[in-house]
Amino acid sequence: MSLSSTAFLIFLAGALLVYYLTPLRFRWIVLLLVSGVFYLSYSPVAAVYLCGTIAMTYGAARWLEALHRKEKARLAGVERGERPAVKKESMKQRRRVLAAALCLNFLTLAVFKYLDWLLSGVNSLIALTASGFSFRPLDLLLPLGLSFYIFQTSGYLIDVYRGKVEAEHNIFRYALFAAYFPQMIQGPIHRYQELQPRLFAEHPFRAENLRDGIELMLWGMLKKVLIADTLAAGVAELYGNYAAYNGIVVFFGAALYCLQLYCDFSGGIDIVRGVSTMFGIELGINFRRPYFATSVDDFWRRWHISLGEWMKDYVFYPLALSRWLPRFCKHFRKRLGQRVGKLLVPCISTVVVFLLVGIWQGPGLQNIAYGLWNGLLMSGAMLCAPLFEKWKHNGRLMHIFRILRTCFLVTIGRFFSRADSLANAWGMLRHSFTHCLWNLSPGAFLSFGLDLRGYLTVFLAGLVLFYVSCRQEKGVHIRQSLAQKKPSVQFIVLLAAVLILMATVYLNGDYTAIAYVYESV
Amino acid sequence: MEELIQILEGCCPDVDFEKETALIDDGILTSLDVVMIVGELNEAYDIAITVDALEPENFNSAEAIYALVERLRCE
Repeated sequence: MSLSSTAFLIFLAGALLVYYLTPLRFRWIVLLLVSGVFYLSYSPVAAVYLCGTIAMTYGAARWLEALHRKEKARLAGVERGERPAVKKESMKQRRRVLAAALCLNFLTLAVFKYLDWLLSGVNSLIALTASGFSFRPLDLLLPLGLSFYIFQTSGYLIDVYRGKVEAEHNIFRYALFAAYFPQMIQGPIHRYQELQPRLFAEHPFRAENLRDGIELMLWGMLKKVLIADTLAAGVAELYGNYAAYNGIVVFFGAALYCLQLYCDFSGGIDIVRGVSTMFGIELGINFRRPYFATSVDDFWRRWHISLGEWMKDYVFYPLALSRWLPRFCKHFRKRLGQRVGKLLVPCISTVVVFLLVGIWQGPGLQNIAYGLWNGLLMSGAMLCAPLFEKWKHNGRLMHIFRILRTCFLVTIGRFFSRADSLANAWGMLRHSFTHCLWNLSPGAFLSFGLDLRGYLTVFLAGLVLFYVSCRQEKGVHIRQSLAQKKPSVQFIVLLAAVLILMATVYLNGDYTAIAYVYESV
Repeated sequence: MEELIQILEGCCPDVDFEKETALIDDGILTSLDVVMIVGELNEAYDIAITVDALEPENFNSAEAIYALVERLRCE
């Protein structure tokens, strides 16, 4: 049941009807049931894994909470001087429980995402011995939203361990936090303390929630259908068969992929947020116009924000503020100087974070290269900051130059994140810069599966997207300003969006709905 | 307090620590700034600010940071 399918729209209408007909205080139960039905409709087997994760993390959180309580009781009964020892012992126990629970959680993710890749690597090594033996790939189907619920439940466990939130005692309420259906496909990833109050607050019916939700969904569908899906086939052809095309066309294809990915992922998130808004539950934003970023660092603060926040809270800070990393980096201060020596801690932490982001993208060395590229770019920018001081002009041209420079650097990274192997990514990148002077004609841009109609669709939809993004960059809230217009104007805008969507989907015989890129993450 | 302000300004020269009261909430300090500040404070006052202390209320203003440092020094 894809987010933009007719089946999903019928399911959503039914869910909303039951939700708003149910008394206020039982509405969360409807959400839980709807989430269960939604997930079961994808795969009953995947639902078993989801239930396993929910049960395991629920139990681990309760255990952590019990250890916290035990520590408090013991602290009350001992002398002040004995307290550090009690605290230390309790911390050790909690750390063991947390480590075991996180290992189990991430092991599930690793088995589904990386086991076959590892087995194929082992098989290649075995092949060198000519023994004739090889492991058969397991071909496991990745459960829907696995990464997202693993990250969300792991964050919850860490927060309970740190004592920042109390463990949820009602397993059904916890299950709703872990499996709330709109965010199951592609996030956003929420912290327990953010989502829990929103899920369990009483949400009376409000027409403006319905209107806002429909507007967000339509906006997301327009991005997905008009831009992402139109570009998908051409981008796939260029990435799969790059050697047949001129280097400039190949680079252009990588830039188109940036646009496709943005419209696919952010469009999906808009739909998810729209669906949730209709139930009265606001989800966090996941994108803040990333292609307006003026540095790679800025880009990552605007792209997949919830993953960035997760990485910052649960990987970057714990690593950078650990005891051992600053101590280790201190040794290099004499050799590298005070400034660089001090920057080593955040630089190493940043590279580790982006390595993990790369690994999260999927198996393969190309993803590790993608993570390294981003991590090293950001660390390099920190280390070289004084060199760029002279360039600190803030004129409009400089601003545009910074945006274009960031787009260029991000596009280079996308050669790796989209390719199916490191060799192909590197080959494609080299091809882009070395095979750009032969066989280039205007027709070359029409030769990879994107025809004039496709260009025109992307251009017009892209213009609207660009205009809306510019307004948002200036602080304009588009939906609020639309709500202030006359009802007739609002109706015309919504009708136009629906008609454009229907015309694209139903009048275009070639149109096929394409799965979301991050649906399989 | 003056010494603390000097340390903070050494880490982030562009930030007015005497006036700002929402350093984290308004996104004035980035994660890199926070890590640099914590590193400097740990060294200067021989304390250990751990990840558990990284709450916005502890870093939103110079006063809040000062209170955190004093609390950790007393422990």
